[in-house]
Amino acid sequence: MFIQLLFASSATLTVGCALGVLATKNLMHSCIFLLGSLMGVAGLFATLGADFVAVTQIMVYMGGVVILMLFAVMLTGGKDFISRAQNLLGLPSSMGNKWTYSVGGLVGLVLLLTNIRLISNVMNSHAPKVIGDEYPSTVSQIGHLLVKDHVLAFEISSVLLLGALVGAAIIARPRKQK
Amino acid sequence: MNQTVVSYLSQYEFYDTLLALFKNNQGALAFTIYLLLSLAIVGMCATIGGLGTYAERKISADLQARIGPNRVGPYGLLQMLADGVKMMTKEDIMPFTADKMLFYLAPLLCLTGVFATLAVLPFSGGFIMADLNVGIFYLVAISSLVGVGVFLGGYASNSKWSMLGGMRGASQIISYEIPVTISILAITLLSGGMSFGTIVGHQGGLPHEWFIFHNPFSFLAFFVYGVGALAETNRAPFDLPEAESELVSGYHTEYTGMRFGFFALAEYIEVFVVCGVAASLFLGGYQVPGISLDILPIQAVQFVIFMTKTLLLYYVVIWIRWTFPRLRVDQLMAVCWKYLTPIAIFNLVGCAIWTVAFNGKSIAELIFGGGH
Amino acid sequence: MMSLGSYLIISLILFVIGLVVMLSRKNIVAILLGIELILNAAALNFVAYSRYVTNNLDGHIFSLFIIVVAAAEAAVGLAIVIRFFQIKETIHIDEATQLRN
Repeated sequence: MFIQLLFASSATLTVGCALGVLATKNLMHSCIFLLGSLMGVAGLFATLGADFVAVTQIMVYMGGVVILMLFAVMLTGGKDFISRAQNLLGLPSSMGNKWTYSVGGLVGLVLLLTNIRLISNVMNSHAPKVIGDEYPSTVSQIGHLLVKDHVLAFEISSVLLLGALVGAAIIARPRKQK
Repeated sequence: MNQTVVSYLSQYEFYDTLLALFKNNQGALAFTIYLLLSLAIVGMCATIGGLGTYAERKISADLQARIGPNRVGPYGLLQMLADGVKMMTKEDIMPFTADKMLFYLAPLLCLTGVFATLAVLPFSGGFIMADLNVGIFYLVAISSLVGVGVFLGGYASNSKWSMLGGMRGASQIISYEIPVTISILAITLLSGGMSFGTIVGHQGGLPHEWFIFHNPFSFLAFFVYGVGALAETNRAPFDLPEAESELVSGYHTEYTGMRFGFFALAEYIEVFVVCGVAASLFLGGYQVPGISLDILPIQAVQFVIFMTKTLLLYYVVIWIRWTFPRLRVDQLMAVCWKYLTPIAIFNLVGCAIWTVAFNGKSIAELIFGGGH
Repeated sequence: MMSLGSYLIISLILFVIGLVVMLSRKNIVAILLGIELILNAAALNFVAYSRYVTNNLDGHIFSLFIIVVAAAEAAVGLAIVIRFFQIKETIHIDEATQLRN
């Protein structure tokens, strides 16, 4: 019963907050809705028995990515600066206008229909196996997999992170004005 | 492993009588136990948070040769109730230009992030809400909600002081998360697990069996963790986000009434949680010296031992606050990135080498023999 | 209620919303938000399949790598946004028309 409750609330949070990201015109609110949505996805991971992935999701997104996004919004002026700049430059609203929304909505609709078709095929052919209500620990197994089967990907991702760290520091470094 | 308080209680006989009371509905009984226990823990920790304000004022008064609050109740103990009632009845003011939604959300995020960590805090061997496999990782992860709350509180108030406080708070919290997490990683390396049950189970009741005295690197890691945790909870000497003399009151300048109370409560409970984590990771947690029985009265003794260690650390935190001057912002970042993080990485590597070289034995085991 | 289908539907909704956000916004940070949603939809699918179909943990590993890549992408992306803002004083995507200077 707990799991059902967790699933229902996480699914509602995920979809509702994702809709919030789409609907709001305020970038700051958008970031916070993204936080809610990612939290919901972490809850869904938990219902799937992926405890380690769920906690990693919370750690990386809430502790890192969302705060980074909020910082970027703040450093690039927030909503006040954006609206002022648009008025000066005569640009369309940066949170989308009716053209971008209609194009985006059309593409989304096509993709939705295509995918519903695909998913219905999958669901008809593969009746989902129910593996039982057991949620065994995944931590030690993931540890073994990471250093045995997937060790190359693990090393490459560490190099990627190092590259991202150095690259971000170099790109964002304030340069002397000439 | 995934032990919970319900699975712990189910090994006793009275669980069966309780189950009969609930007409053998396992789920309903588990739900009731979880509900009651979480209410009890939250209530207890809220009281500890409230008493924290009292302790802060009393200890600071003691250090400055004053008397401190002494009018309300015996020794001024009911001062926290008086403060609470005052906060509840105050007018709830919101700045006209504030971002309404985020303004309401920020204190709740802070409080949620702190209260969610209480689910895995090991008060005793049996009375831990859920001994998750990813316990300490979960705790570090979920407590980063506090950083978002601080940042949003600063942004949503739409005031310069709040904004500066929020920016400082968020950058400080995400920077100091790194040395703290790496120090914790060194301990999980020694204990071979991330659940609090495993970590505390690997330690003993006596000081030479604690992880802080396991090897020189874990001894250093304790202090790195301590400094980082002080900074993460925005305590002096790292209280830049709410520096009274520079920023009025930092990210909660514009908050009044109970919303301000939420921020203050979240901060004091977070200090308690951080002290509890330090006690269970480095100082043996709830382990009772010399007793390996597992009966219910022992749980009470374990609880008392855990609380004693935690509250002693709490005292040290308050003592530090009233002893050291505040750092500057650039000094703060220099301490984190130039000193603490390299030392923490050095500790991690050192612990790994120690584990391989001495087969996981502690110094005491190497000198006096014995061990695993 | 909890079956492979419901997870796939949630993930599909998440993916479509992310795509629409990505296409309809003109703000670089908002586009990055859309990308995060899409990456999460993919990670959710991997974990769902790993529980209901393949019955091993490779899906978990893959979603861990997705999270790692998303974090790296966010860091570099936001660094570029901040640099772009220093040069152009706006983060409107239509202003990003030059490859140098």
